[in-house]
Amino acid sequence: MNKLYKNCLAGGLAGVMVAGMAIGAMAADIRVGITMRMISENGQKYGQMVMDEIDMINKSGGINGNMIKPTLMNDECKSDKGVANAIKLINQQKVHLLIGSTCSSVTLPIVDITAKASVPQIIPHSTNGKITKKGSAWVFRVPVSGRFYAGVNAKYVGENIGKKIAYLCAADAASQNDCEAMQKQMKAQHGSEPAYVAQVQEKEVDFRTHMQKIKSAGVDGILIAALAETMARALIQSYEAGIPASVRRIGSSSASNSPVPTIAGDAAKGVFFAAAYAAADNRPIARLFNEMVKKRYGVHAPDHDFSQAYDLVRIVEIALNNANLKLDSGSLAADRTAIRDSIASIKNYEGLASGPISFCAAATPQCRDGNRTAVLIAYSKGGKDYKTEVLARVTMPADFGL
Amino acid sequence: MTAVNSIIHSISSFVDKLNAVHRMLPWVLAFVLLLPLPQILAAVFNDYYIYLANKICIFILLSVGLNIVKGFCGQVTVGHVGLYAIGAVSSALVSIHFGWSFWLAFPIGILLSGIAGLIVGLPSVRLEGAYLALATLGLGESVRIMIAVTPLFGSSTGLLSIPEPTIGSFVFDNYTKYYYMVMTFAMIGIYLSFSILRSATGRAFMAVREDTVAAAVHGINVAKYKLLAFVISALYAGAAGGLFAHMPPGYIHHNNFTIIEMVTLLLMVVLGGIGHIWGGILGAIIVTIIYDQTLEFYFIQPLLFGMTMILIVIFMPRGIGGVIDRYFMTKKFMKIREENSDGTS
Repeated sequence: MNKLYKNCLAGGLAGVMVAGMAIGAMAADIRVGITMRMISENGQKYGQMVMDEIDMINKSGGINGNMIKPTLMNDECKSDKGVANAIKLINQQKVHLLIGSTCSSVTLPIVDITAKASVPQIIPHSTNGKITKKGSAWVFRVPVSGRFYAGVNAKYVGENIGKKIAYLCAADAASQNDCEAMQKQMKAQHGSEPAYVAQVQEKEVDFRTHMQKIKSAGVDGILIAALAETMARALIQSYEAGIPASVRRIGSSSASNSPVPTIAGDAAKGVFFAAAYAAADNRPIARLFNEMVKKRYGVHAPDHDFSQAYDLVRIVEIALNNANLKLDSGSLAADRTAIRDSIASIKNYEGLASGPISFCAAATPQCRDGNRTAVLIAYSKGGKDYKTEVLARVTMPADFGL
Repeated sequence: MTAVNSIIHSISSFVDKLNAVHRMLPWVLAFVLLLPLPQILAAVFNDYYIYLANKICIFILLSVGLNIVKGFCGQVTVGHVGLYAIGAVSSALVSIHFGWSFWLAFPIGILLSGIAGLIVGLPSVRLEGAYLALATLGLGESVRIMIAVTPLFGSSTGLLSIPEPTIGSFVFDNYTKYYYMVMTFAMIGIYLSFSILRSATGRAFMAVREDTVAAAVHGINVAKYKLLAFVISALYAGAAGGLFAHMPPGYIHHNNFTIIEMVTLLLMVVLGGIGHIWGGILGAIIVTIIYDQTLEFYFIQPLLFGMTMILIVIFMPRGIGGVIDRYFMTKKFMKIREENSDGTS
């Protein structure tokens, strides 16, 4: 009886240990760090979308049986906060992959951190061309780079609107980049010098002086490169200053954000911009996505920051599924390399984005700026129930603007 | 509580004994004790805490510097972050554009901050209280806006690839190496702050703080000492800025120098206790750690941060320095009482 008892106990213990090991092996987490600008209503929704989509992957069984463990941190669009988040996520959370950031000024220094620590980094929203020009082998960009947007805008403006363009450039990194690149492209493609250029604060509220000067300059179009709320204010004031609707208003990439048509109302009508996603897209995947975002986040029509957050998670899912991850205590460096190589092998991913997203192994902008297709969108109606229409879809060569 | 008291008493008397041998000895000992901190942090926690230690050292420099003008001399300034920005940007620019070594760029940054400090201090000769606060706030914010709109200063993209300091072939290219530099500068900054406080200049500062008219009557050149306090404080801010700019990954952006950073800095000084050097140091450590530990709770972080600060201000209106003062004062009174009661019995 005593022997039987001992055997049972030993068997039981062995069973528990094996089960424990099996559970331990099965429960290995893929740690993903996310640093984004979570200080605006929309910023929080983009971050939440990434978290929700990761949660959906986990609920449907995870990645080859392993769960993704995301840690979302707010960088407030400040570089020192972003750097601190990246260091914390890499050294403390020991993440396998870093997602971030929303702002180019935060992403730029993080690229150096991830390159040094050999951690793959995938960018959801930052468009500044310098990010991939740094030559890091660990960075991948899902959104369309600013260098492509400028080319598309300049081509359309020069051929359809005119060459006498005024520029209002806000002080944030993305807007400055959009503004400079557009001027450069207008000169390169059409030999056109700016009719008027003004630098304004990131959260400028008074554009009346600039608008009066632009009105007297008799321009064909005005490029307003600013973050959404600032752009909306500038659009309203352009009409208050008496600039007619025949002078076309051109938006920078953030014109796709819902506060622009919502705040600007009728002043948003006719504004066009290059973006990575059109809510007016008729593909079934886009229709379903629009409905899902409306239901989940109460947004009338999702902008390209929603679609890019969604596409990014899908790309991460594909890469993690394809990577041969060991996920044990000694495999962190190898797993990080495997994830990087797996992302680099993604070719022609067709999601919500304006064009297929492809990466390759070389640490060059040609390989790491995944999406080269921009879609030109115009607001056909402003206000809360705004409507958009697609004007054109243009794919640029990989080395354009370098 | 008795155990804590006895530990504090032992440390206090040990420091006194070291001081009696040589006044530099406690500082040398503190420096030696802080040397293995990165290794301890890496072993107990992880490398991230070494980065945090670097940041704390920079904030200590800033906080100690702000205490000189605000705590010692009683001048209200909310433009300190502008001086910090000047130190950071000028040191970075000299390094990037002229290719000069950190050891040349860094003093230039400090010097330019000192000159800016003199300019910021000029209104203090005629203005006081809220008016001075407004004037310095305007100057601080002007610096940030100037950086934001000037391409040479990095404008929207920021200044990239600021070179790390080097000594021969030794490069301060990671946070462990960089810690030794920022910690050394922080120690020097604290030591100099104590030296100023104990000097005739420090006493003049305090006289100006307590009553400008009375100080002037006693022959103190009030305008000179007010300006001097601003300049010394600016030199600290410039040093902190230079160290921040050259810290890996060598990137600064105008968003690093906003009014929020200024308020955080003021909180460090107020929490630590205005006019208390050790309080300011503890304030810098506590605020940085609280801020860091609440980062993941981004949605309630401002609330948590604000509530913590409000509670501290309610229950410790004179800051940590006030609590330390009260502790030693109580001890002193108890000792006198014990001596008196021994004498009468």
